[in-house]
Amino acid sequence: MTVSLVAVDYSRPVQPIFERESRVGTIHSVFHKAMNIALDGTLLALLSTELPHMPNSVRLSKMIVDELLPNLQPGMEVWIGNEKLFIPAYNLSLRLPETAAWEPRPDVTAYQWHPETVARHVRLLAYILADKPQQGGLAPFVRPLLLGRPAQETPLSRMAMPKLRLLTQASWRQNMAGIGEATRGLAGLGPGLTPSGDDVLGGFAAIMALLSSQLSADAASRKHIASAIAAVARPRTTTLSAVLLAHAARGELAEQMGTLLLTLSFPFEESETILDAANHVLAFGASSGGDTLLGMLLGLRALEGEIN
Amino acid sequence: MVIQALLKRNTYYDSITLMSVAQAAKDLPGVEDIGAVMATEVNLELLLNANLLPSAFIAEQQMPPGSEDLMIVVRAIDEAHAEAALAKAEERLTSRGDRGVSSNTEILPTRSLEMALKRDEAANLAVISVAGEHAWLEAEQALRHGLHVFLFSDNVPIEQEKRLKALAISKDLLLMGPDCGTAIINGVGLGFSNVVPRGSIGIVGASGTGMQQLICLIAAAGMGISQAIGTGGRDLSEAIGGVMMRSGLELLARDKQTEVIVLVSKPPAERVAREILTAAQITKPVVVVFLGAAPERFAAVAGNAQMARTLTEGAELAVSLAGGDRTRVPGKDTLNKYDLASERAKLTPSRRYIRALYSGGTLCDETMLLLSEQLGPITSNIPLRPEWALAAGETFRGHTALDLGSDEFTRGRPHPMIDPTLSLQYLTRAAEDPETAVILLDIVLGYCAQQNPASVYAPAIAQAREKARAAGRAIPVIVSLCGTEGDPQRLSMQRTALVAAGALVYESNEVATRAAALLVDKA
Repeated sequence: MTVSLVAVDYSRPVQPIFERESRVGTIHSVFHKAMNIALDGTLLALLSTELPHMPNSVRLSKMIVDELLPNLQPGMEVWIGNEKLFIPAYNLSLRLPETAAWEPRPDVTAYQWHPETVARHVRLLAYILADKPQQGGLAPFVRPLLLGRPAQETPLSRMAMPKLRLLTQASWRQNMAGIGEATRGLAGLGPGLTPSGDDVLGGFAAIMALLSSQLSADAASRKHIASAIAAVARPRTTTLSAVLLAHAARGELAEQMGTLLLTLSFPFEESETILDAANHVLAFGASSGGDTLLGMLLGLRALEGEIN
Repeated sequence: MVIQALLKRNTYYDSITLMSVAQAAKDLPGVEDIGAVMATEVNLELLLNANLLPSAFIAEQQMPPGSEDLMIVVRAIDEAHAEAALAKAEERLTSRGDRGVSSNTEILPTRSLEMALKRDEAANLAVISVAGEHAWLEAEQALRHGLHVFLFSDNVPIEQEKRLKALAISKDLLLMGPDCGTAIINGVGLGFSNVVPRGSIGIVGASGTGMQQLICLIAAAGMGISQAIGTGGRDLSEAIGGVMMRSGLELLARDKQTEVIVLVSKPPAERVAREILTAAQITKPVVVVFLGAAPERFAAVAGNAQMARTLTEGAELAVSLAGGDRTRVPGKDTLNKYDLASERAKLTPSRRYIRALYSGGTLCDETMLLLSEQLGPITSNIPLRPEWALAAGETFRGHTALDLGSDEFTRGRPHPMIDPTLSLQYLTRAAEDPETAVILLDIVLGYCAQQNPASVYAPAIAQAREKARAAGRAIPVIVSLCGTEGDPQRLSMQRTALVAAGALVYESNEVATRAAALLVDKA
């Protein structure tokens, strides 16, 4: 007998994968509360509702995840399409609920964006990020990059710092060769399942994709920079990072990142709300949250103009 | 100084695991530095810059490491220390449940009680959910191994239940069941259970959904549960004599965390009810909800025990006795949150009857008791009186309350709390019946229950109301929603979807029932 399950919710980019003809993929990786399925060069994430939405996620109740994941092994066959996901080894079928999809692309057009206010938020968040306990990624480099404070020199800092400076500078100048060089140096760099450099690039690309039209000091859109970053990084890093970068380049973000991004439009008096949203971002992974926030801040700084 | 490495192809561990693995190995004596990274091109360059690149190791590989491979590298004072550090790292990785393509941490499922006992000798409770005719055998085996038993299975003969409970008592163990729907033991939910905080209120119940309703209402008031011990629905029958309720009561009386005890049951045998009330004369406050047992009839034996007529009243009393604010229980104060008078005004005179569709037997009992006091006979498949039974082939007659979770409906199909197909069919039938004034139904959330009931009920309710509207009439649908915010389905999410579909949603079954009664004429 086929066990039929219905997901709790799903992200909008996932819907077309379920709607087309059924195709075979494999289980890529299994974690305590999540698993990834590799299909057609992308990854679909099945998550517990304990975790925030991801741009490529279908979420299941904790109860189902607790039951399901211990039985699944990487490499198992999975069919997705014709409105369902099917795991033959367990005769298990999953379909999406009839509720509307979760939208991972924050609707920035519904908010008023004031460059001066956003710039103040960037300074505030840079201080917050600098004062957070360090988790070994690139986030500590916020000190030299945005606050003019010294940072400890390490093999990672020697490799990353010049590339982070180059990425910011080249993005303002729309110097695509410089952006390519910086991305090649950062993609796949550092610790973590999604290496720290990729998380920074993701945050940076999302800002370019979503806010460059509203916030660039020269009023020029820099959306193309986002897609260039994703394209250059793709062959240089892990599949998981490459997939998330591709989403970020389209402005599709994890739930807590999108929430923080929208709060940046709030007046400075609402900094409590912004800090609360930033703390949710920082709680993500070991260093991923801090690294992504660094990328967002650098992206926003790049839109302010020339860097001395 | 030596550099040694471990390469795990196509393997993925979350960042927190990788960091803790690196830290654990780095803390070992003789270790100078460690790296745990995905082997991307730039990370190999990073390892080189950090004097951690295992060049010889990489050269030995038939295929060079790539970005999907995890590489753990150690620089130590000698080979022995490097090997010890890598062994530590490997041990940490395999102790985690995360699995990449090449890792192999498969654990075979447990197929027998013996196998489970060998695997975890510390276990002291067995959950048994096998076909009824074999369930007693498994339960007996578990009891003889010294395990408490949660017996989810139904269709266990009453003689076996009596024998198993005697065996459990002789061994100072609990036999929760048979047909035990829910329990919370030391904070762990068993069967259909809701996610609630731990606290000072203990419950012993011969009623699954009755316990769930109490637990959820108590949680809504911000209070928690110490233990919730199920006894099986027949425990307070004449044949069983309430042995497990007495045993549970004694346990909670001794339990330091429990400050207030609630006893709950479907309509009990009168002699047994009196015996339980006599046993309840203890120093801790005891609240008793014996549905259908009028408190005044038991006044002589109730003594210190406080008797409540309904589950909601029981929850309010328990919250109050435990030092909480009883007004936070979503009780009668919530009755008027909807404009019931306006709902009633929309009904045509020919639509006179309530049609109650329940998946929870106790909730159905409570509704029938409340409605019959006001409206007279309530026909049912589990009637309060024999003469109120529905005839064969009859779906509704007059005011009707159906327990769709009872045996005749669930034989060969999942319980409606798991699969709402049957409830939805009856919802459609009730909506199409020209005599139906109002539909009342329960939705129970929690573990084991359907993962997103609103996703199926809300469209069905909206459709039923829309069809009625198109035909120029109204059909109010009242939902008794039993759950908590911590439940996998999330109470607020379910409530929002149901209200959006036009349902009137109450968390108290009593209040939902009273709301339904207000929409029809009194007998």
